[in-house]
Amino acid sequence: MNAITPMKPWKTPLLRLFFFVLGAIKPLQADLKNLSFIHFARWVIVGRNQFPLLSDKQPREELRYDYLIFFSNFNGTWNQYIDAFSAVLSRGLNLIWRWSEKFPGSTPVTPFKDYIGRVQFDTDYYYNCYPKAATNDVKAALRVQDALNDFAKTSQSLSPVEFENAYLEFLARVQPDLGSTGIAPVGT
Amino acid sequence: MANESGQVYGLTILSPIIEDERLDIDHTTQLRWYLSTLPRDNTSPFAKVSSTYLARLVVLDDVVFVGKPACEEHLKSRYLIFETNFDGDLDTYLRSMASEVGEFVDAVWKHCVGYPGAGNSDAFVAYMKKCQLQTTFFFADVNDRTVRDTLRALQTQSALTHFIERNQGKPPVEMQKLFGIFLDRLKSAPAPLPGGRADEKSVTEGRPHD
Amino acid sequence: MIRTDNTKIDVSDIQGFVLKGYNFPHARFLLLELLHCEDAQSFLLKLLPDITTGERWDKKPLTTLNIAFTQQGLVKLELPLATLLSFPLEFQQGMKARREILYDTGKNDPANWDAVWRDERVHVWLAVYAQGLPALEDTCAGILQIMEHTHGAKLLQAQDACSIYLNNQPTSYEHFGYRDGFGNPDFKGAERECVPGQGKLVKDGGWEALATGEFLLGYADEAGELPVAPIPHLLARNGTFMVYRKMHQNVAAFRNYLEEKGKLYSGGKEKLASKFVGRWRDGTPVELSPEHEDKSIVADDNRNTDFTYGNDLGGLRCPIGAHIRRANPRDAFGFNGQLINRRRIMRRGLPYGQYVPDGQPVNDQDERGIIFMALNASLFRQFEFVQQQWIEYGNDAHQGNDKDLLTGNHAGKSRFVVQGTADAKNPAFICAQLPNFVELRGGDYFFMPSLTALQMIASGTVDPR
Repeated sequence: MNAITPMKPWKTPLLRLFFFVLGAIKPLQADLKNLSFIHFARWVIVGRNQFPLLSDKQPREELRYDYLIFFSNFNGTWNQYIDAFSAVLSRGLNLIWRWSEKFPGSTPVTPFKDYIGRVQFDTDYYYNCYPKAATNDVKAALRVQDALNDFAKTSQSLSPVEFENAYLEFLARVQPDLGSTGIAPVGT
Repeated sequence: MANESGQVYGLTILSPIIEDERLDIDHTTQLRWYLSTLPRDNTSPFAKVSSTYLARLVVLDDVVFVGKPACEEHLKSRYLIFETNFDGDLDTYLRSMASEVGEFVDAVWKHCVGYPGAGNSDAFVAYMKKCQLQTTFFFADVNDRTVRDTLRALQTQSALTHFIERNQGKPPVEMQKLFGIFLDRLKSAPAPLPGGRADEKSVTEGRPHD
Repeated sequence: MIRTDNTKIDVSDIQGFVLKGYNFPHARFLLLELLHCEDAQSFLLKLLPDITTGERWDKKPLTTLNIAFTQQGLVKLELPLATLLSFPLEFQQGMKARREILYDTGKNDPANWDAVWRDERVHVWLAVYAQGLPALEDTCAGILQIMEHTHGAKLLQAQDACSIYLNNQPTSYEHFGYRDGFGNPDFKGAERECVPGQGKLVKDGGWEALATGEFLLGYADEAGELPVAPIPHLLARNGTFMVYRKMHQNVAAFRNYLEEKGKLYSGGKEKLASKFVGRWRDGTPVELSPEHEDKSIVADDNRNTDFTYGNDLGGLRCPIGAHIRRANPRDAFGFNGQLINRRRIMRRGLPYGQYVPDGQPVNDQDERGIIFMALNASLFRQFEFVQQQWIEYGNDAHQGNDKDLLTGNHAGKSRFVVQGTADAKNPAFICAQLPNFVELRGGDYFFMPSLTALQMIASGTVDPR
């Protein structure tokens, strides 16, 4: 998802301040990780004088507002994603977007969805190195790989009885992470 | 540095697109057409820049008017946004773009102002850095592995689950032998290709009312 | 801690089917096609006085009567266009058009549905519940007479359903042998004590009734908003939406699978059966009693739904992918259950077809299964979401693409993991090559209006202003 929102320039330093204040970032990071359906997300501030000017034939931008651009890569449907944001991330999201013009707040959810719908713009080309894997699958797979690497070190040198016990422990360790990967449900 | 999280780098490039009234089909349209024809699976150019996790190219036509009392304003140029998440450092990534998929890079960025071409990788890197935006807040759910390791892990997970299910309840001596064979097979399995196959799509781009 | 609430809702305006499970053993669902608007309206007007409301009964009636409409039905009744277009999108489309979203593909594809559902002519669902068969026949005969007299409707199919009788007593068991009907959500204003476990979790670990607007239109929902509802307000208020799905059960396939895997599973067949669902077949919640059934818990309504998964995130008691855990994750996704509260549905199902006791030969070609009905204020946000994201997919539960073992449309692919320990007596166990134990044979989305709204529909006085 891509979204761009205008900010009055005097508000931009406040946004930067809040991003770097530990109180804002850490809980937001933790919640994003716990929601566990976002691979990557970023917020980028483009000041009104920061649009790249690379030739004198290119007209210089004359803008009143700074712009906050948001990019994310997530699993699930758009509605599910915004519902979850609104339900559990509202404080963090408010701290980021309250400086944008006409932001209605992240709760209640319907005006929030309307606002996001208005400030979104479409992606022209998208590449994903693991299209069938959700971020949960990736994390699970990495845990399985680590467990396998550990077990593989000794598995063949144990006695059969020792192997049996070690295998059971190995199973107990990897068992939550064995979900299959595949195509996700269609958007609604 | 806010562009990085662990091993992952979040690069955002904003490149002004050339406005040329003399053309029948302007640069923005040509660019969009080109992007719509690009494959998204393991034959994608980004699959060759193999440290790429997720990348996107977006044409920004204009800024958004959110309604009164906000003021309406417009951009004088259109911009190409390149947003990518990869493992490793920036210079290496940019140089590998120029060397691995120079043709693709030229086909995209030739529509942009001041683009020097991928042939001269120093000039290319300098150009990209001139267009780079600093990320204010970057979140990466998994930030401590390379793309190659991640793809291997997914392959392992699938193979292991299959193995476990098929051999449930077998006696320990047999299990141990089978497990050894499994480990060998896994080690010599070909590296999985980044990008998957053409009909697959999992992480959405987040369009409303999809 | 049990909390009750003082929200008052007008029970005489709401259809009884929404507010209570009647617990009558017999039912007949009359699926009707409406013919001409005026005749249909006369028919409805004649039925109106007999529609069962949510009012308290001094004495249980012999039969009840309730009614609901598909979008096509409302079109036939010539509701104003502006009103018809104001219904939620998914209701307007109907369940058949939503098949990609619901995974009603392959074996569950509409091409395999009963003709009555495949052909999309069902306009009205009339439900008659009865304490006994003679009363059922009587009431239905009366309705058919009115239908003939007014020429208002044509009977497309009469779907019978009936509780499974064991030892000559009606029970709440279903055909796979599990006791059903636990855990329906409590909501504010419904006239019953909030039973622990049925509502939503609150901060101190207690339970509270859900917002009325999760199940009735015209009231605030869990997000503090009014659910999407048709205009005018009077048409929507006190109404709700219902999904009806006729789910054929492949009892032979299930019994064979359980038998086969039960031999390999360390805990044996009954324990494996309990792991599939998250309840032992007698209803004991696995989360509270993972090693054996416990009649004392089942019998106590204050205990049989009072549990959470917070201390069992590894699935060692109740498997992470078990049916009831998928359908209602409670606190399993963290955030104190907040992500769950807008995803609850009210179930009213009843089995159909002849029951065959375990051990006797049973044929999966026979008509046998469950008429699944669920009520919610938003089909899209509640039923469709649970179906698509939690039953037919597993990402939220960290089970990847694995589907619900019992009802998932497996198409030969998914698997089910029973989490275990490092003890050889209780190791992890994977169930693969899952057949489709359940197949969809038809259904649709219905609007169940209030009595006021029904009056408006029947007299042609719906005005969208």
